[in-house]
Amino acid sequence: MLFNSIEFLIFLPIVFILYWFVFKNNTKIQNVFIIFASYLFYGWWDWRFLFLIFLSTLVDYFVGQKIYEHLDDRKKARYWLWASMAFNIGMLGFFKYSNFFVDSFIDMFHAFGYDIKSTWTLRIILPVGISFYTFQTMSYSFDIYYKKLKPTKDFLAFTAFVSFFPQLVAGPIERASNLLSQITNKRSFNYEQATNGLKLILWGFFKKLVIADSLAPIVDDIFANYHSYPASTLIIGVCLFSFQVYGDFSGYSDIAIGTAKLFGVELMSNFKFPNFSRNVAEYWQRWHISLSTWFRHYLYIPMGGSRVSQLRAIRNISVIFLVSGFWHGANWTFIFWGGLHALFYIPVYLMGRNRMYADNVVGEKTLLPTPIEILQVLLTFALVTFSRIFFRSPSLTDSFQFINQIVTNFSYEPYAHPMGYRMLDFYVLLGLFIFYEYLIRKHEREPFRFKSKVVRFLLYTSVILAMLLFYDDGVNRSFIYFQF
Amino acid sequence: MKKFIIKTCVYVLLILIALELMVRALHLYTEDPPRFIDEYGVEKRVPSHTGYAVTGNRNQNFSKFHINNAGFNSFREFKPTQEKFEIALIGDSFIEGFHQDYYDSTGKKIERAMNDTVEVYEYGYAGYDLANQMHLINAYKDQFELIDEIIIYLNYQSDLERGVYEPNTQRIAMLKSTVFRIRDNIKLLAYGSKIGIVDPLKKLVTGQAFQEENSGGYETNEIVVPQHKDQEYLDNFKNLVELYGFDKCKTTILLDSRKTSESFLEYCKQNDIKYLDFAQAFEKTKKPVTLIYDHHWNNHGRDLIAQVISNYIGTISKNKKCE
Repeated sequence: MLFNSIEFLIFLPIVFILYWFVFKNNTKIQNVFIIFASYLFYGWWDWRFLFLIFLSTLVDYFVGQKIYEHLDDRKKARYWLWASMAFNIGMLGFFKYSNFFVDSFIDMFHAFGYDIKSTWTLRIILPVGISFYTFQTMSYSFDIYYKKLKPTKDFLAFTAFVSFFPQLVAGPIERASNLLSQITNKRSFNYEQATNGLKLILWGFFKKLVIADSLAPIVDDIFANYHSYPASTLIIGVCLFSFQVYGDFSGYSDIAIGTAKLFGVELMSNFKFPNFSRNVAEYWQRWHISLSTWFRHYLYIPMGGSRVSQLRAIRNISVIFLVSGFWHGANWTFIFWGGLHALFYIPVYLMGRNRMYADNVVGEKTLLPTPIEILQVLLTFALVTFSRIFFRSPSLTDSFQFINQIVTNFSYEPYAHPMGYRMLDFYVLLGLFIFYEYLIRKHEREPFRFKSKVVRFLLYTSVILAMLLFYDDGVNRSFIYFQF
Repeated sequence: MKKFIIKTCVYVLLILIALELMVRALHLYTEDPPRFIDEYGVEKRVPSHTGYAVTGNRNQNFSKFHINNAGFNSFREFKPTQEKFEIALIGDSFIEGFHQDYYDSTGKKIERAMNDTVEVYEYGYAGYDLANQMHLINAYKDQFELIDEIIIYLNYQSDLERGVYEPNTQRIAMLKSTVFRIRDNIKLLAYGSKIGIVDPLKKLVTGQAFQEENSGGYETNEIVVPQHKDQEYLDNFKNLVELYGFDKCKTTILLDSRKTSESFLEYCKQNDIKYLDFAQAFEKTKKPVTLIYDHHWNNHGRDLIAQVISNYIGTISKNKKCE
């Protein structure tokens, strides 16, 4: 079930009412209901893959107990941790990466002059959200292994933690220490939390339906026909893709966090206005935070993090970014994209500026950013956007040809929308969006944080009006990150 | 909890009211002038209505219409005489032309192309098929006897589904029903319905949401006619000719041969039924000929149609022999 579907619009109020009116007195029954609702939510897409979620739940619940039993015997505990990783990564490897490995293997032989027929390539459907929930269940086993968490004995609560529908298919990837404790404890309805949830949902829908969906046909057209467009159009295309993917994924996260709030659950923030980052390190503290945090806790720090020699720290950074790229998809383009970010990040790290902006935002104490900050933001945006060419192109060859086309056909021509819409509408829309995001840049969880009720009301109405103005029933409405 | 639900409902209501006001203020909705069936059984619009038709979600196509005393969208009243040279242009929504300013219609373009030596009467009505059109000519026999040329726009793929005219009383009754009146009066709903935002809800109610969706949302006019239908269409055409008559001397069928069956064209040739094919004009042009949001002709498409018709009228008025 998609958040932006009529089914969800009916599903959500029904689940909300039953959750708070019928099952409110018993946390266990509430959790059973969450499981039921979550499995229905996921099964709406394809019920056959429910067993995978259940299997992942079962394995990590059991492994968690075993790790805890052997905490004093680190060797045995490690075996159980490996078992969890083998299962989850194996599942991910089979469904997401098997064809990639087979194809890469064949390509490698082909490069040496041997032709192997691709009989091993399978027609595998990628189960939606597999990269997200497998990482979430693994985090549970890791936390127990690192003695940060005691395993739960409540299997139902654990099942609800793994399958909690607001964040099941595209995150935020929660850590058990945050989400599981909320699920095991009694939840009570909180008016402020619920209204904040609704506001976040509204803002998330705006980002998805208005920003991402209205830019999608433009980006699709430019990337599909890049060889026939001049540099100006290609630059527009990749810049718009940056906003599209941001609107799409952060919109999803906002809807997820807002929906969870309606059920008395606080999920972690996943985006903190990454487009206003002043260097690439800050960008990674603001973009897909739950994934960055996951890699930091469970890969970077265990590898030694930055508390090792500079050379090893550089190696660790490179590994993190390459793995992060590979996590996004079974394609060399993503690995290259990750590698490129490592290249952008390492100089920032070497200059000691990687934690410089961890606690402040652009224009922290002033209304407007300083000229230096503007330059920093523009440079970071340019670097990140450049890397998006690899993120969006279907192959490395296409990515390089796209860049080559920018360099060799360096000219300007006005771009016409593939469906004939006025392009000015989209530029104005984007300008207003950036301006508004700048205004709210310190409050990613409160997008309508204005004292005046009238102003707030006008904003709600304007946001919905924008959805009506930019609605296009010909656009594919699924979320980009579902493919990961 | 009670406070949350009540406040949410109040906010939703207030937002809907504000949106309704905004949709009205920005005139995002389209107007559909009322329809009726006159004493001759002809379905048309209630005379003397002026308003705006809107297509697209941001007023991308915004045009004024004017329903004349005859009940059709036109810049002029229909008063045929012996002295003047009049052309009747009959057809469906393509001729009715709510997607264009009424004073820049196909008819007006023809008049301009012919230096105002002719008057064009546009009998266009959304939903007309050939049965409607031939019945109209028959019903207004007195007027059409004075008109010098009749051009009937035929969309072969959809206009020959029936061989006898029956006024569509059900549609008129449906449009007058409370549900439709509510839809027309709540402009937000009319707008939402027009841009397709209400479609998912409609699909869910009718159960279509669970069926496989068709691809090609923009290919609204590309329907292929199955071969067995050709004979049925030809029989319907013959029947209509027999029932309502067909003045071969002054009637011409305007069509797109790319979307018309060979057998029908052959039949027309064999029976001295004139047809005017605009396929070549559309094929030659490099610019798009239809609107972005639907399949109706855009300004360029109408220019080409007007050019094809005016060239044709110029030729036949010089060589007219059948009188």
